[in-house]
Amino acid sequence: MSRTAPALWSTCAALALALPALAMEPQEILDRVCTTCHAPRADGSLPRIDDGRRTPEGWDMTLVRMMRNHGVRLSGEERAAMVRHLADTRGLSVAETEGWRYILEQEPVSVDLAPTQDLAEMCARCHSFARVALQRRTREDWAHMIHFHLGQYPTLEYQALARDRDWWGLAMSEVLDFLAGTYGLGDAPAPVAADLSGAWSVAGRMPGRGDYAGTMHVMAEGAGYEVHLDMGFADGSHAHFDGQGLVYGAGEWRATLSDGETEIRQVMALGADGALSGRWFDAESDVIGARMLAAREDAAPRILGISPGHLRLGEAAEVTLTGVGLSGAPVLPEGVSAELVSESATQVVLRVTAGEEAAVGPVTLGLGDLAAPLVLYDRLDRIAVVPEVTISRVGGNDGPIAKVPAQFEVLGYLNGPDGEPGTEDDILVGHFPADWSTENFDEVAAAMEDARFAGVIDGTGRFTPGDAGPNPERPMMTNNAGNLWVVARLEQAGEVLEGRAQLYATVQRFVDPPIR
Amino acid sequence: MKHLTPANARAKAMDEALEAEAAAPAEGSAEEVLAMNALVGCTTSFDPGWEIDAFGGVANLCQPMEADLYGCADPCWWPAQVPDTMTTYPNWTENAPASEADWRQLQSVFPRLKG
Repeated sequence: MSRTAPALWSTCAALALALPALAMEPQEILDRVCTTCHAPRADGSLPRIDDGRRTPEGWDMTLVRMMRNHGVRLSGEERAAMVRHLADTRGLSVAETEGWRYILEQEPVSVDLAPTQDLAEMCARCHSFARVALQRRTREDWAHMIHFHLGQYPTLEYQALARDRDWWGLAMSEVLDFLAGTYGLGDAPAPVAADLSGAWSVAGRMPGRGDYAGTMHVMAEGAGYEVHLDMGFADGSHAHFDGQGLVYGAGEWRATLSDGETEIRQVMALGADGALSGRWFDAESDVIGARMLAAREDAAPRILGISPGHLRLGEAAEVTLTGVGLSGAPVLPEGVSAELVSESATQVVLRVTAGEEAAVGPVTLGLGDLAAPLVLYDRLDRIAVVPEVTISRVGGNDGPIAKVPAQFEVLGYLNGPDGEPGTEDDILVGHFPADWSTENFDEVAAAMEDARFAGVIDGTGRFTPGDAGPNPERPMMTNNAGNLWVVARLEQAGEVLEGRAQLYATVQRFVDPPIR
Repeated sequence: MKHLTPANARAKAMDEALEAEAAAPAEGSAEEVLAMNALVGCTTSFDPGWEIDAFGGVANLCQPMEADLYGCADPCWWPAQVPDTMTTYPNWTENAPASEADWRQLQSVFPRLKG
């Protein structure tokens, strides 16, 4: 098989390589480097470059492809500057990303559904459909994109779900019509003009570790921001991260922070309400992270989080409300009493007691004009493990690719008014700690002893997969893959509630772009 | 198919899946496989599958995957999971001539953006 780059690339590559590797401003790179192949049209627009809009991550993937396969040489600084320039001038609005942000946030508990089965089979067979939905292109450019796919990955026509149909005919008709009609070029939104400097109140919950709240200090510095993040967790632990952040285009907040040991990445959106929402994650292990909601302390009063969000009848607990502009007296549901423990504009702590006679179910805990949801319960009717199905990936073992763990959690439910489990009126009470174990999923897994080899789960519900590489101890030296039940057991007044999820402990991915 | 006897575990699983599908289409293998389509980050090309096999397990994947890895990389079979040496990453395997022995030399290919 030939491993020589197709000849048609060579002219462009040679031109790009011939350019001096000096630090250039983005517009200069566009004018001097990109135009060697993307020759300006009569109206001055650049083919392909001006025919599409993308997220920062999408533009970065385009730039990396230009560097990798077309010989464009950019320093790390030039690459970062180009991503910013392209995202600022040819980006998406936050609204255009709604529903697909999980792929940017590296949210591990995501279901990626294409709008139709045809599109699932055409596009989401290899990568997420979100990757498609986070692009805007002219019809001509979508057509180029389809041509590119067949040129770059020619065997895709021979795979299952392609060889059994007129793949090319389908791609260039119905699929092209859908893409051009749904994700047409449109207009680039204006970049955010606001200065995000200030103190932000933050709240969220980190799977496996629990609720957190804190403050993020943001200070304008150059074209970006200096960021200091303090988080206090419900288990009493604290975390402090420092680093840099910036806003791309119409509201894509990205920051890279470190506590000295672990680097985290924030991927958040600046909403129309001025709040930031999204997720932060370990830069080296994106499964490990947490959703975050943040509001600047001078924003309109709101509650960002309540912890815990559930209370058992007859018990008392310190309930922390996190937000901005918090004031006013507690407004308590019937059968609930409370004492004020501490209060500030961003945090109010109440010692809340739920009376034995209070009604179970969702209630509202008020504070002045604001309110937060609280669930009262006596005993849980059932528990469920989430995610219901997920994967982990082998890694490590002195290889270059880290293990990809899986994080599970237990949700507690009430059956609701109909008394039946699994129906629409079931009431989600919240997250609960549990005892965790794994079992072989089926007879095949038992025969292969998957539960023995595939990895281990700890007390927080985090599954750490086995080592990468062929395992001489397994039949045919098979990898430490496995098909497992993840089992959670929770003791409640002498009875044991059990929940299960399926885990595919599987193999590495060697291609891991920011949009999968 | 009644004159053919499955010769190995994969063929047997295929037979059983086809029988299950015929007996109860709504509960058969096709529906189960469809459910996996939605798990973000996994390929749904199940011939034979990279993360998950066509039967909703992992036992029918090519394993150890290192044994046939270049059979994936050379023909660009799972290009979103495995670097294709056909066009995009022609040099990916140059430090690992024997994948079963040299798999530690096989790198993740996307260079992370700093900043």
